[in-house]
Amino acid sequence: MIGSIIIKIAFLGIIVSLGAYYLSFRNQNQKFLTYARAGYHTAVVGLMIASAILMYLILTHQFQYTYVWSYSSTTLPTGLLAASFWAGQEGSFLLWALLAGLVGVFLMSYSTNKGYEGQLMFVYSMIVGVLLLMLIVKDPFMRVWQSFPGQVEAGFIPPDGRGMNPLLQNYWMVIHPPILFVGFAAMGATYAFAVAALLKKDYTHWVRPATPWFAFGVLSLGLGIMLGGYWAYETLGWGGYWAWDPVENSSLVPWLIGLAALHTMLAQRRSGAFVRTNLVLGILTFVLVLYSTFLTRSGVLGATSVHSFVEPGWMAYILLLSFIIFFGGFGLLLLFVRMREMPSVPIEYNYISREFALFLGAASLIFIALFTIVGTSSPIITNLIKGQVSAVDISFYEQTTTPFGIAVAFLAGFAQILWWKSSKTRTILKNMLPALIIGAAATGVMIAFGLSTIMMILLTFAAWFVLIVNIQIAYKIGRGNPSFVGGAVAHIGVGLLFLGFITTAMYDRQQTIQLVQGEPVEALGYKLTYTGYTPAGHERWAFNVTAERNGRTINLAPVMYQSDFNNSLIRNPDIVNRLTFDFYLAPLGLDTKEIEGVAGSTHILNRGIAMAYEDYSITFVGFDMDSDRHMMGSSNEMVIGVILDVTYDGKTERVVPEVVNRAGEMDFRPGMTADAKLQFNVQSIRPDQDNPDRSSVSVEIIKGGTKLASSGPARTQDVLIVEASIQPFINLVWLGTIVAIIGLIITIVRRSREARPKDQEAWG
Amino acid sequence: MNTKTIVAGVIIVIFLIFGAWSFLESNVEYTDFQSAYETGRTVQVEGTWVEEKGERYNADLNEFTFYMADKNGQVVRVVLEGPRPNNFEIATSVVARGRFAAEDEFRSTNVLTKCPSKYEGSAEEMMGASDKQYYE
Repeated sequence: MIGSIIIKIAFLGIIVSLGAYYLSFRNQNQKFLTYARAGYHTAVVGLMIASAILMYLILTHQFQYTYVWSYSSTTLPTGLLAASFWAGQEGSFLLWALLAGLVGVFLMSYSTNKGYEGQLMFVYSMIVGVLLLMLIVKDPFMRVWQSFPGQVEAGFIPPDGRGMNPLLQNYWMVIHPPILFVGFAAMGATYAFAVAALLKKDYTHWVRPATPWFAFGVLSLGLGIMLGGYWAYETLGWGGYWAWDPVENSSLVPWLIGLAALHTMLAQRRSGAFVRTNLVLGILTFVLVLYSTFLTRSGVLGATSVHSFVEPGWMAYILLLSFIIFFGGFGLLLLFVRMREMPSVPIEYNYISREFALFLGAASLIFIALFTIVGTSSPIITNLIKGQVSAVDISFYEQTTTPFGIAVAFLAGFAQILWWKSSKTRTILKNMLPALIIGAAATGVMIAFGLSTIMMILLTFAAWFVLIVNIQIAYKIGRGNPSFVGGAVAHIGVGLLFLGFITTAMYDRQQTIQLVQGEPVEALGYKLTYTGYTPAGHERWAFNVTAERNGRTINLAPVMYQSDFNNSLIRNPDIVNRLTFDFYLAPLGLDTKEIEGVAGSTHILNRGIAMAYEDYSITFVGFDMDSDRHMMGSSNEMVIGVILDVTYDGKTERVVPEVVNRAGEMDFRPGMTADAKLQFNVQSIRPDQDNPDRSSVSVEIIKGGTKLASSGPARTQDVLIVEASIQPFINLVWLGTIVAIIGLIITIVRRSREARPKDQEAWG
Repeated sequence: MNTKTIVAGVIIVIFLIFGAWSFLESNVEYTDFQSAYETGRTVQVEGTWVEEKGERYNADLNEFTFYMADKNGQVVRVVLEGPRPNNFEIATSVVARGRFAAEDEFRSTNVLTKCPSKYEGSAEEMMGASDKQYYE
């Protein structure tokens, strides 16, 4: 209740800020700035209080609030409980609004001394205002009786919440969304710069103060995307870090546009060209962020996306659509009106100039973005054209983006060697020579190791080229002026990333394997043995697999469980991380297999009395009624473990075959020794309540081979089906990301220094 | 118009045609068995599992075989290259992606199952939770 009121107060603050900022630049009157800032700060403080309230409600389990009930529960650990703040639509928008608001505080002080505050913050306030409007409509502070009127009595407090979607229950959920939303907020700032430039009729100087913000947007959104990729790889078991899923694609598109703009802005600073291009790209950044949100949150992709995390809502659909039209229309109309008065500087038509290379590189990035957005929107496009929803295959993305990826990689090296305006062909060739030679040699080696298609060979060569060239340049610049090294370092990261993409895409090997319990299977250089499952807490099950390679044994425990939340089987992979590769084990399912021709002998074991069986000595120690022995998914069954001590060659080990009583029906689960030589099937149990020492069991003992059978009518063995894969040099992807981020940080520092007013000509 | 503009224009048009061609080529349509058989293309067919005809997982080939009826009621044997899909038994409908390998065999690379979902919270669920609490 109080939360909703605070959201409305914050919205009023933004309205004040909007009006006052408008008046400040309309009337050239500084006086209005005081009101505008007060209004903006009111909104930010309001968002902070509202967020604190929601966090408090979640942490104290106030389930009478629909949002708290929908996305959290008493069983969540604290970190995930806090993260349920942004597990649903309303909370996500609150987080986005909060982070956008806070980023705006920095933007305000940044723009003040650059004479930009009025126009810039006017536009930026619209963005924060629209997010607040969304929160008024999709109120995170609804009570359950308001959400379900007539069905739930007023004052009713549900005893527990529904909990979090199990796909989200991971520590990446704690950090990935906030970083992504900082990226979204930064893309709001880049939009604000472009539109403010149009309002101010300053089409040339704006790129200077805007550059660090574009770099910041590329950095934060890029980091958010990569963290999402790592999450998918490490937890969701998609088998890779990139699956061209709509959720991933839709944030990739604004990132590519921001990246293209960052490069054409550099060209504009030098040559004055790309005036309109930069304004359009600046406007598109935020419009595409909105479109991304629209695709993933409105349910418009429907059945074609398996991974839409948030339930659709018509209100969100219409609101987001109108936001896209509003921000896109406002920016582009303004651009159209101002078009005639813009200076027209032609693109430098010297083909071997840095400007031209930057232009081609940016154009390639834009093409990648275009094809990605077309592919991602294919359900909408096919629905409009044919009235039938269908999606493109992943091959579409690979086919269309690879040629442009090659161009991007090659140009990211080539442009670095070129001088502005023009370069001498001889000098260029001389500078390129080491990269060309090393690149060709390395590509030759990779061809020898099985690289085949022309496209991949070209991409590999381009990737080595960009890497070597930029190492050269970074070394050269780094010795002179280290603060200018950002671009070269970022492009070293790009080279590493491309190499990682190639090794993981072209050299990965995968195999679907059936692991019969206790029977080792050779696969991908590992000897894999499934040893059985153990409880992993919260009704989850870890499937233990030992992987042996070069005499070293590692235990892997991928997790699989049936989730009540969305009625689906959740599968988490397990990974062995090595310097040059990852060994990736994703569980697919547990099956049973009938076995024939195994016979054993049945023996009666009295408690505490050792029985000799060939070279073994077997003692029945007692029953184990531990509740942990409950089987997957079912609670109305009782499991009794029969504890046997097996001594062989002076060593004693404990084996516990089980009896399952499922509503009167008995089922038996065998146990076996660690070397799988001896197997025990319980046939019947005779517990003695009065004198436990006189209990006895009847056990079938099977020797030889590694067969595992269960007694009773059908003899079956558990078969764990896994997909094992080798991801070679996947560490290059993570390393490339880190290096690129370091490069971007150096760039941001340099470009914000350059944007200081004292360093430059009049701002107007 | 100068030559450069024309060359640039032609290059862009070529890229766009290439994109459009790829789009049509890789577009996986939702359709029924009849047209999937006629076109021979990779498609997605939505339908239901014919339970009476059973299902079988061949662990050695890693193939899961079942019979599926599409919306026209045409029943076709579907061979999925992989293990039994999640929640196969309780699914209200299944979507098989693949193509006809023979007249009587639809070879599928991926089968999605659609289940009665509890994804969205309902008032009954909330009350249900309270009932449980009450009885415990």
